[in-house]
Amino acid sequence: MNYFAGIDVGSTAIKVAVVNEAGDIAGVHVTASGSLFHKNSLEALNTLLDKLGLKREDVRYLIATGYGRKLFKEADDSISEITANAIGAFEAGKAFGGVRTIINIGGQDSKAIQIDDTGNVVNFAMNDKCAAGTGRFLDVAARNLDLDLEELGEYHFKSEVAPLNINSTCTVFAESEIIGLLANGHGKAEIIAGIHYSIASRTVRLAKRVGIEDRVYFDGGPALNKGLVAALQDELGRELVIPEHPQTTTAFGAAVLARNEFVAEQSSEKV
Amino acid sequence: MTNLEDIRTAVNNVQFNRFRFWLQIFFFALLVYGGYLGIELGKHLPTFACGYNKELRGGMCFLMPLQHWMEWPWEKLFSAAALTILYGFTIFFLWFIALNRGWCGFACPVGTIQDWITSLRRWTGIRYSRYSEGQYKGLGIIKWVLLALMFLIPLGIGGGWFTHDLKSPFCMICPGRTVVPLFGLDVSQWSIDFSSRTNMIMTSLGLLVTGLFFIGAFVKKRFFCFYCPMGALHYLFSKAALLRLNKEGAKCTRCGDCYRVCDLQIKEIADDIQNKNIMTDDCIMCLKCVAACPEPGALKATFAGIPIFEATEAGFITRMNKGRTDDK
Amino acid sequence: MTNETSKVIPIQSIPYSRSRQAGESQDVLDHIIDDFHDNPESMQYFYDLFRSVYCHGEEVKHEGMLVGTTCIQAPEELIYAFGATPMRLCNGSYHYDQKGAEFMPSKSCSLVKATLGMLNSDNVIPKIGKPDMIVNPTTCDQKKKSSSMMGDMGYKVYDLEFPNVKESEASRQYWQRSVRQFATELRQLTGRKLTKKGLQAAFNKTGRAQAAFRKLHSYRLLSPSIILGKDIFLVTNAYFFDDITRWTEKVEALNVELEARKQAGFKAVQSKAPRVLFTGSPPIFPNLKLPLLIEEAGGVVVADESCSANRMLYDMTAVDEWMVNDMVDSLADKYLKPCTCPIFTKNEDRKRRLLDLVKSFNADGVVYQAFSGCQVYEMEYRSVAEAFNQAGIPMLYVETDYSPDDKGQLSTRIEAFLESMKNRKKQKQRAAG
Repeated sequence: MNYFAGIDVGSTAIKVAVVNEAGDIAGVHVTASGSLFHKNSLEALNTLLDKLGLKREDVRYLIATGYGRKLFKEADDSISEITANAIGAFEAGKAFGGVRTIINIGGQDSKAIQIDDTGNVVNFAMNDKCAAGTGRFLDVAARNLDLDLEELGEYHFKSEVAPLNINSTCTVFAESEIIGLLANGHGKAEIIAGIHYSIASRTVRLAKRVGIEDRVYFDGGPALNKGLVAALQDELGRELVIPEHPQTTTAFGAAVLARNEFVAEQSSEKV
Repeated sequence: MTNLEDIRTAVNNVQFNRFRFWLQIFFFALLVYGGYLGIELGKHLPTFACGYNKELRGGMCFLMPLQHWMEWPWEKLFSAAALTILYGFTIFFLWFIALNRGWCGFACPVGTIQDWITSLRRWTGIRYSRYSEGQYKGLGIIKWVLLALMFLIPLGIGGGWFTHDLKSPFCMICPGRTVVPLFGLDVSQWSIDFSSRTNMIMTSLGLLVTGLFFIGAFVKKRFFCFYCPMGALHYLFSKAALLRLNKEGAKCTRCGDCYRVCDLQIKEIADDIQNKNIMTDDCIMCLKCVAACPEPGALKATFAGIPIFEATEAGFITRMNKGRTDDK
Repeated sequence: MTNETSKVIPIQSIPYSRSRQAGESQDVLDHIIDDFHDNPESMQYFYDLFRSVYCHGEEVKHEGMLVGTTCIQAPEELIYAFGATPMRLCNGSYHYDQKGAEFMPSKSCSLVKATLGMLNSDNVIPKIGKPDMIVNPTTCDQKKKSSSMMGDMGYKVYDLEFPNVKESEASRQYWQRSVRQFATELRQLTGRKLTKKGLQAAFNKTGRAQAAFRKLHSYRLLSPSIILGKDIFLVTNAYFFDDITRWTEKVEALNVELEARKQAGFKAVQSKAPRVLFTGSPPIFPNLKLPLLIEEAGGVVVADESCSANRMLYDMTAVDEWMVNDMVDSLADKYLKPCTCPIFTKNEDRKRRLLDLVKSFNADGVVYQAFSGCQVYEMEYRSVAEAFNQAGIPMLYVETDYSPDDKGQLSTRIEAFLESMKNRKKQKQRAAG
């Protein structure tokens, strides 16, 4: 049985996905990037293979994506995370009737991708200049509110009043704003809701640049945050498709591509 | 097939001005002196092979017989005798569609004479003058007015309104009448006919126009062609012609090189990027525009759909180089 | 009481070639040469030229008076005809961009910041010497306003009045008068007269250069490409300051080598390499950031519509009567009528030119660069994008400036774009085949 793997070497986290010959997902693994990308990537891959009971030789094709893709020499090929994300979302979205717009909020960037009905990227927009509207903003907020990242989601729903407006466009300045709001006696819940809406509205603005279809696929680590999901759905006015492991869509896409490339190479050899 | 490519390239790279000069000499000799060799191309030529050049001409300008026919008394004009006119028009038409308005640009003796006068001006170093946009628009109507009058005045004679002395009204004012016979050393047309008041006026007008012709041809390129009713008559049939001037708008950079070299100041060649058939009513199909176009395939002359002379980069470069170094 | 740990440290003067400014050019040049395979041998002249001028700061010689130009709309033939030498001052160095940022508004276009930063420095690289006059066509806003700034720096600046509307006869007359006025100004500057022979000689120089460029341009039609865009940009950038006759000879030599490559079936890129049309704000050495990113990612820039390359040399002048006045007016027309700069009110000609280039060069997609602050290119993006959308041609819009900070992110976006182009092409071929 042949297996194929995709590894997304991000700036904050390394994600690995393995698919089988049929293109179905066999397993995923997420770990922190740390500073030793190469070493940690290799470790992550081996960890996942051990978990699945596979050997390195079983993986017939490996594609790297993400910020550190060029550094990971073990890979057979590398592709941009935009293409990988698109493929992953397209495959995963089939179960929901197909998706054409993909929103990804990552640790340090956010993207909106529009694909056609064959999964090909038609248009994309990236916010790669600024931390506002990315996972980093959530990190900063959690730290200031003395909470864990995972708690932000449930706090969102605890709010009994309307979410507060966070005015600062810059994540760093927003810190001061949050502290100020706390000092003025506002509750954590509405502050968190405000932060979620701030990220959501920024994201929607980004997505409008590529065009928003009816069903939108939302992935990236922050998609685990149910509060953020609610805010985004509200701002977007559309149905959102959230995968079970939103962080690993890109790695999954890379793995699917690895499988497709391998199959294509085999069939061209036969000819 | 390589031979065809080579021929094509050679044609497209031709020294156009020189080619045109010699072709014009050929037609001039044929039409003005052809009679010497017994050549008679008939009375339906679509060009100023002037009928007043009695002995030597190789064929006759259609406008003379046309005006004669229009003078017929109306009973005759609107009878079965009109079949002659139809026949005449058909022959005229057949001659015409072969070269389209290339008859003007390459064959017309009066046109050729104007080009010679232009060469004289260039030799003196005097610059040519251009019409302003307003003048151009206003004066462009004159050729159509003259064409209309060319039909209406003879009709008026046939209908009994005008004196017979107004016969061939256009021939009386056409510079061809006075200038072409000069080449046979015939100055008989250079006089005022005092036999009647009408004749006096018409012949004086003729000499005036001749004077204007020389001055105009000296300061402007192809001065008379802008006002020529033969040209207007041509334009009515030009869509059916075999020789065409075509443009491919997508390739045009609107650089205006064609407009710059055009003797008739036609802007549409440069600005119109929609139409394929780019000929306007002023165009004399001298094809200078095609020779001056640097964009491959943007302008071309086609005969029955087959491209015979196309704009090419190499052609443009060769011609501009020669122009510069020739010091013309 | 003396404090021995504090003393005045004298400023060390380092030779230019070891300065950070030279380092910037060095890095780019090394990248252009070393990180790509099989550079044409004839390119060595250009590599050496840029090394000596930009990395070693060697002097650039010129004949007669030096007339600096800030835009391709300044008729260089006239300058040559008066025995002077034109040199394009537009600068591509981040070092000067930062210098210019000290006194220019922060949102200005990098090109103008860099040019003014350069003119304001003591040690101007390229070392062309102080221009006897700077001709500043009133094209874009930023250039217009920099006119008085340059004057304040002590340069003699001539405002060459350029129209904003392309189509009208009034504009055409205005521009013709403007060019004639410029000729008068040049006569006063140089003390010489404009003669037919002088003007014809000037036409000869530029005509030959344009013919050489057209030939080079035609070699880029081939697929797979036989030469990379990075080299073409270097060649055209050299035109800014190199001696025109020598430049032409070297380009003609390059053409000979390319013909040999063509006959031999040489491939400079993989056959599936995405073919890209580059348009927008001009890449000027050392800011060849975007074209280099495209070609590093496996694409090839097969054609461009920018004023540091194609638009500078493409249009040729036709003259009917070789007399001084006709030549001067023809020159004026050639600089105005086919111009596809976005400074005009309408720009149908630019859209048509782009679509024609995509078709002739078989481009798979377009990269549209706009410098931050270049309002004209930024605003024209919408209508160009619509035209391409309707024609089904993919386009990537990149707003950037001279700073090297965004290289990492840009490379991801460009790679994604190239991947998308490749996929689209594959799908089209599968659908057709």
